[in-house]
Amino acid sequence: MKKLLILLLLVFTLPAVAGLKPYEGEGATPPLKLVDMQGNTHDLAEYKGKVVLVQFWATYCPPCREEMPSMNRLMEKMGDTPFVILAVNMGETMEEVEPFVKEVGPEFPILMDPDGESIGAWQVFAAPSNFVVGADGKIHYTLFGGVEWDDDEIVTKLKELSGS
Amino acid sequence: MRLIKSLQQTLLILLVSLPVAVFAEAEIETLEISDEAEVDIRVFKADGDKLLLGFACDEGQSVAEEATAMSLAEDGVEVWMPDMLGGYMLPKTRSSIYSIPSEGLYSVIERAMETGKKVFLIASGPDTELVLRVANEWEAKHDGEAAGLAGVVLMFPRLNEGKPEPGKEPEYVEAVGKTKEVPLLLLEGERTPNRWGVKHLTTALAASGSHVHAKLIPDVRGYFFKRQDANMPEEVVTTQLAGLIKASLFFLGRTD
Repeated sequence: MKKLLILLLLVFTLPAVAGLKPYEGEGATPPLKLVDMQGNTHDLAEYKGKVVLVQFWATYCPPCREEMPSMNRLMEKMGDTPFVILAVNMGETMEEVEPFVKEVGPEFPILMDPDGESIGAWQVFAAPSNFVVGADGKIHYTLFGGVEWDDDEIVTKLKELSGS
Repeated sequence: MRLIKSLQQTLLILLVSLPVAVFAEAEIETLEISDEAEVDIRVFKADGDKLLLGFACDEGQSVAEEATAMSLAEDGVEVWMPDMLGGYMLPKTRSSIYSIPSEGLYSVIERAMETGKKVFLIASGPDTELVLRVANEWEAKHDGEAAGLAGVVLMFPRLNEGKPEPGKEPEYVEAVGKTKEVPLLLLEGERTPNRWGVKHLTTALAASGSHVHAKLIPDVRGYFFKRQDANMPEEVVTTQLAGLIKASLFFLGRTD
């Protein structure tokens, strides 16, 4: 009984799980080919061999705004690990996105999807919606909602996925 | 300078007194539902043939809701706002909507139908689950027919069962997709992540036969009419909320 109590105590005092969930969806990774705010085209297929965090976000989504600075810190913590973030804006205009981007200064590309074409293909129904694509091009994890992306647990998982 | 100060004071007095003035226009009717429950209904009377029943559960106490009800009544749409939670002495928490007995809700609808007007239901956010449940049970009680229920307006519906999972189709609460005849109209803000789920939700709501209209309101976020931090477009749409709802009733009427 005492052991059980100690076990329960341990379970309930462990730090909160960062939130990456193993992907349970079916089928191949949907295509993603969009232009960033500087006019450069990014094709997910060309990032094979790297771990890619694909995030769907919008400026009108408070958790998206809150967590973006931590994505910069995540980039820093990932160091030389082959890792990329592609942050897909959900249906807004450049005029709407620019002020926030200037304020936060993301160190990763912001892809524009004014017509929301990729949103349907990726089955995104809320924001922020995140997909972690492995070096093999398959989706390994998903995460809904805002988190601190530079959390050690997330960094470890992403590094493990890259094989580093 | 003194004139400006005087004008400012007058404006402040008008603004402060506005909610009181608006509130004064509504009548309170008490509906005895059972030996244990009496529901107070705020009634904004009107001469038109439409009656909007707002199951906000708290008599629609926010200033925007009152002003909208007033405006609708001026345009001929009668508005009823029953205090279902108060009637059953339930705490004003989200989970309380599950404890409201269906019989109580039917009683309010039946009383509304006694007026001879076309009765529409309206709710926003998580309360939309309640109106869908009521519409569904109302049909079930009347052999699958709308039985006088002219339509349901779902403003910014929040009908997901649990958290959405990226890459997976959303799962909805049980009330979704059960109505057969009652037409539904869904309103969602354009600047809310939920707008991307509108198409899927529309299809799910129509699963058993209900005709479903969906409209995106440009430049506004969810619950814009309740926001303390409303921006200019949201303030403008809030002042036009009555017109938006009236247009919704028109759309619902087209499927009669």
